[in-house]
Amino acid sequence: MCVFVFIEDEAFSDSKNFDFAGKIYTKWLYRNNDTQGILSLGNPFWPDDIAGDNGVGSEFELKVFGRPSKFVEAYARIQSRFGELWQDWWESGERKYGDEVNTSGDSLGMNRASYMKLRGTYVRAILPFSKTWRNTVTVGSSDLGMFNPWTIGKVRFIDRDNGKGVFIYGLVSNIGLSYDLAAIALPKLYVGPWWSTGIGDPELARPFYSQDWAYGAKLTYSPRWGSIAVISTLTNDVEVDITDPDAVGSPYAQCKDSLGNPIIGCSKDYAVDYHTRYMNSVSTLEVTLNPESIPLIANGLFGISLQRLDKRLTANGVALNQGISPIVYKDTESYAVRVRLEATDLGTDGFTLKGEYFNIGEDWNSIFGARREADVLLTDGFLGGGQLPTLNLANEFIDFDELFYESCIGWHGGTIIASYETGRFEGSLESTFIWYNTNRQNRDVDFTYPDFLHSEGYTDTDLYDYANTTDRGRDPRSVYRRNQDRRTWIEVLKLKYGLDLLKGADISLKSKFIFDKDYRSHKKVDDDYTGLIAQSRLAFGIGLYRGLRAEVGGQFDYWREDNRKGTLEQGYGDDRTYKGKGFFGLTWEYEGLKFRYYFEYVYKDQHREREPDQLFKVFRSKASLEVAW
Amino acid sequence: MKTRLPVSIALFLFASLAFAQTKVSLKDPVGDDNGPGSYTYPTDPVYKPGSFDMTSFEVEEKKGEVVFRVGIRVPVEDPWDSKSWGGNGFSLQFIQVYIDTKPDSGFCEGLPGLNIRFKEGQCYEKVVLISPQPKERLQSEVQQKAGKLKEAVVIPKVTRARGKVIEAVVDANELGALGKGTGFQVVMQSNEGYPDSKDLLTRKVNEYAGQHRFGGGSDYDCDPHVMDIIVPPGKGGKGEVEAQHKVLAFTCDPNNPDASPKVELPMVYP
Repeated sequence: MCVFVFIEDEAFSDSKNFDFAGKIYTKWLYRNNDTQGILSLGNPFWPDDIAGDNGVGSEFELKVFGRPSKFVEAYARIQSRFGELWQDWWESGERKYGDEVNTSGDSLGMNRASYMKLRGTYVRAILPFSKTWRNTVTVGSSDLGMFNPWTIGKVRFIDRDNGKGVFIYGLVSNIGLSYDLAAIALPKLYVGPWWSTGIGDPELARPFYSQDWAYGAKLTYSPRWGSIAVISTLTNDVEVDITDPDAVGSPYAQCKDSLGNPIIGCSKDYAVDYHTRYMNSVSTLEVTLNPESIPLIANGLFGISLQRLDKRLTANGVALNQGISPIVYKDTESYAVRVRLEATDLGTDGFTLKGEYFNIGEDWNSIFGARREADVLLTDGFLGGGQLPTLNLANEFIDFDELFYESCIGWHGGTIIASYETGRFEGSLESTFIWYNTNRQNRDVDFTYPDFLHSEGYTDTDLYDYANTTDRGRDPRSVYRRNQDRRTWIEVLKLKYGLDLLKGADISLKSKFIFDKDYRSHKKVDDDYTGLIAQSRLAFGIGLYRGLRAEVGGQFDYWREDNRKGTLEQGYGDDRTYKGKGFFGLTWEYEGLKFRYYFEYVYKDQHREREPDQLFKVFRSKASLEVAW
Repeated sequence: MKTRLPVSIALFLFASLAFAQTKVSLKDPVGDDNGPGSYTYPTDPVYKPGSFDMTSFEVEEKKGEVVFRVGIRVPVEDPWDSKSWGGNGFSLQFIQVYIDTKPDSGFCEGLPGLNIRFKEGQCYEKVVLISPQPKERLQSEVQQKAGKLKEAVVIPKVTRARGKVIEAVVDANELGALGKGTGFQVVMQSNEGYPDSKDLLTRKVNEYAGQHRFGGGSDYDCDPHVMDIIVPPGKGGKGEVEAQHKVLAFTCDPNNPDASPKVELPMVYP
């Protein structure tokens, strides 16, 4: 039906084959403490020099798009390094005086010099084999969004161009079939034991990471009644066989043993052998049924996870790193099942019922799965962010107003959510019950299962610190305990009502109640944990003027935790936490300019039976100004 | 004149009453989410097949509010976590409902970014924006880009998604008189958070699909940037697929493609 009059090899005009996009972003962060920087929570492992609660900084981003032809597209993004405070003024990137911070402008290094860095590039070509069979090949950066959070997860937004590889996407449109194939360079930081592909592992004298790859394949069939997607992924970290006489540093470089005798069968061939240090294979089958005639959606996901590690090539992070490790230190096989049903407009318009059954094996791990900004379960969970089936979560490089994500490895249970929406009213009620596949007595948390050191007590995400100097509760990654017999009941009520005030207003309430019971050791009864967590948040938002909206509200928490933390030997204490929060926010969208301001006061009164009580009075604020063009 | 005015008012009230008592319900064929027949989805995996395939459209007036419901072939998803940026619980779709409430008046040019017009005599007085973007962003974009058309723009007080439905609630008095003879056109587009400088939060259609660009159109602005519409009689018959393709068929002027005549959309008068 369409009339194309272009000549196939016609050159594009200048304006059509080249495009720029830019963005300037400024952030202000302030708190009544004495840290300096512009990031609330930085890197807990590699100390960074930009984290801190008081500062203002800007960054500039430039994206360049090129289209040398209709079939080929190129992209590059350069962005300034974020971290230079406005007060840094003339920092040059030099560290002329070692680690001494002074007024020279040559003391803070590149991280505080706003240098422009190439953040990502790709070249993409469309290879149309026929009108119905098209392939797109991408070489370079990708956010890895083609798979799912269980297998290879979409990388978090700030890392969106850091992942690089070769990606093929194919579509056979007339039969609703598509496929993805990918070979992805593994990040030397974060994927693998010791959060690396070898670097920093005490077992490796000469880490070799340049041949570490992940591979993924996905096949999707999308008929009108729903879809079927099969994904299979392999994460493979290899190391050099140090016994190979050709390997640098090999003790057998001369093919002689320690006594100087020739080793039979040993000869140099100028080629080095590799061994797999760590391998994680995760596959899922996801089926969605979506009948056209009835408002019902059914979804089932079934997955298997397999882990293999060579203990000669990776040291035991559980034993040597205080139980802080993104993997269970043994070969594992595990499963995951999730079945979801959603029926909308049941009986009356606006009434929706959702149900979910989930069962994730205790040894499941997705080392390259989604680390944040994704959610595999319906429930609001403990922390209100998302639940992800990995120990490799990323609750770092975030500000105080961002969500926390929690690991759901070992979770077994169900959720029902009933919601009703009509006119200006919206309401929902969630009920979730969780049993844990990780319930076990005398689990080996000394050498095999990581407990992340801090595995007790409800997590305080408002006043979180990595080292847990403030008794902030359980690490969101901590799913294994030495003795656990736990079950949890979560209820969440959400209400929202619109009001005809100025440019439109609404009032919203979210209340959460958690009953968390862990009988812990079966040998004692006085170690049983009982957590009763109640949270209520009330907010009022109002549009004040075109593009301008304000929000004000408050939150109150009461945590009653019997036997919150302690040990069998030393006993446990009953703690009570009272927390109040008042907040105010402002959003202004004006002619392409986006301004956001958020202020909160957090008051926390923690009554502890076995330790001194704690009182927190925190004022803090964050503002941002963004212009993109 | 003295006698005609009360009669007109009476007719208007009757028409409004008639509208209030009945729910307008239109159907759209399945599988016509391809604009003029050639359009394809962007290659990024968030654009799942059927995400822009409108299957039904309902308008219902209740207690001074008008509720618009647009049925989508597949579950409405929120891959860009719209709640985290103040959005409305979905990410991909952007639906514009054009409403003709008065004969022989109104605006004939579609909102920027769509490259569409309306047929003479079937122009619109109101256009409701059903978008995942927060109201403040919509208000700002309309102010910047819609020009005189901003008089017609109505931003719902509530927009949300559930299951396979996207719903918007608008104050009835913002729409004027809806009644018998009111015409509707529902345009399915995609929400683009970083649109072209002149486009009102719409995603472009190119000759070949890109990661976030529809394909099957033109690299110039001679093609309608529209994936699905409703066409008369709005009953979802197979003939409506062909009719949609015909309505959205475009021609590009080889000498000045961007100045090519825009396709003209009809209203559907239930």
